[in-house]
Amino acid sequence: MIVIAEPSKKLICWSCGSENDAEVQFCANCGKLQPYMPADYFSFFGLPRQFALDRAALEKQFYQLSRKLHPDLYARASAQEQQWSLEKSSVLNDAWRTLREPLARTEYLLSLLGIRLEEQSRNASDRAAASGTVKQQVVPSDLLEEVFELNMQLEEMRMAKAGGADDPELRRNLEAARENFYQQLKVSEQDLQRLWAEWDSSADNEATRQTTQEKMVGLLNRRGYIRNLLRDVEEALKA
Amino acid sequence: MAYSDKVIEHYNNPRNVGQMDKNSTAVGTGLVGAPECGDVMRLQIKVNPETRVIEDAKFKTFGCGSAIASSSLATEWVKGKTVDEALEIKNTDIVKELALPPVKIHCSVLAEDAIRAAIGDWKKKNVAMVEQTAGPVAVAAN
Repeated sequence: MIVIAEPSKKLICWSCGSENDAEVQFCANCGKLQPYMPADYFSFFGLPRQFALDRAALEKQFYQLSRKLHPDLYARASAQEQQWSLEKSSVLNDAWRTLREPLARTEYLLSLLGIRLEEQSRNASDRAAASGTVKQQVVPSDLLEEVFELNMQLEEMRMAKAGGADDPELRRNLEAARENFYQQLKVSEQDLQRLWAEWDSSADNEATRQTTQEKMVGLLNRRGYIRNLLRDVEEALKA
Repeated sequence: MAYSDKVIEHYNNPRNVGQMDKNSTAVGTGLVGAPECGDVMRLQIKVNPETRVIEDAKFKTFGCGSAIASSSLATEWVKGKTVDEALEIKNTDIVKELALPPVKIHCSVLAEDAIRAAIGDWKKKNVAMVEQTAGPVAVAAN
């Protein structure tokens, strides 16, 4: 469960009484560790909510923070501070793991925006059932055709193998498909980065943001399919 | 997570696996997918143009046991129903029949989507006839 700290909230340092932003880890005045305030991963790092991110800078910040928050440093501190350092170290690790991966970060920020990928398909089904229309597939039909066709070939390949035969033509087809899908993955990475930039730079344009978010969801769904297929193709070629 | 006996039964003995000529006007084809798990499902129906009864159904699914069982069951259920009756099949009926756990509910959703898509495809091919018979059928349904 993600709890988002209100950005305007202020925190009074328990040690010296000076006022800090709620997200700070340490008091700006006395440097004491501050209570753990549930926050999203962006604000934990003091970052704006954006898709594009400087990974090297994040990494540096992660190592710095993990040294400063490490529970060993608080072995002789109060029980409260020990607890905070534990909690913060744990959130720090989760935040780092999520934000450093472009796809995990994208899904995470989308979820902060109220979009959960696994609900997209379900919602489309509900809309279709309610209106009595055929569901708008969240994945384009040409991709579905392609996925279906390739699965047929994979099945043929497995059956041929089970019978002790290795059809060289099938193998060539699968190898070509593998190449093609790797290419598509690469292209989708570039597309995703373009969408990030578009979203990040249109803070004042809600309509653009909405469209961009939808495109991101479509792209991630497509990627999910391609990655599953690649895994199956690799397996069939290896076996 | 263990599959229910019914899922295993359908998985081991799937009903109506196969394909029909998707270019035939009597055949409606639904191809649907669930991006969350990468499953794809093709469900086809063959409809009698006079009675609008689904006389045959075939499926081919690439996915987990629950997805295969859901589509297998869907083909069994639509057979003998009119297209309008078939549209009444809900994913929750499939969940109940197969005792699907919450994480597998999307498989039943996929099967319902496939039925709708197949019927939608058939209707599109038979626009003239659907319009022509829509009146009397609606009355019969009431």
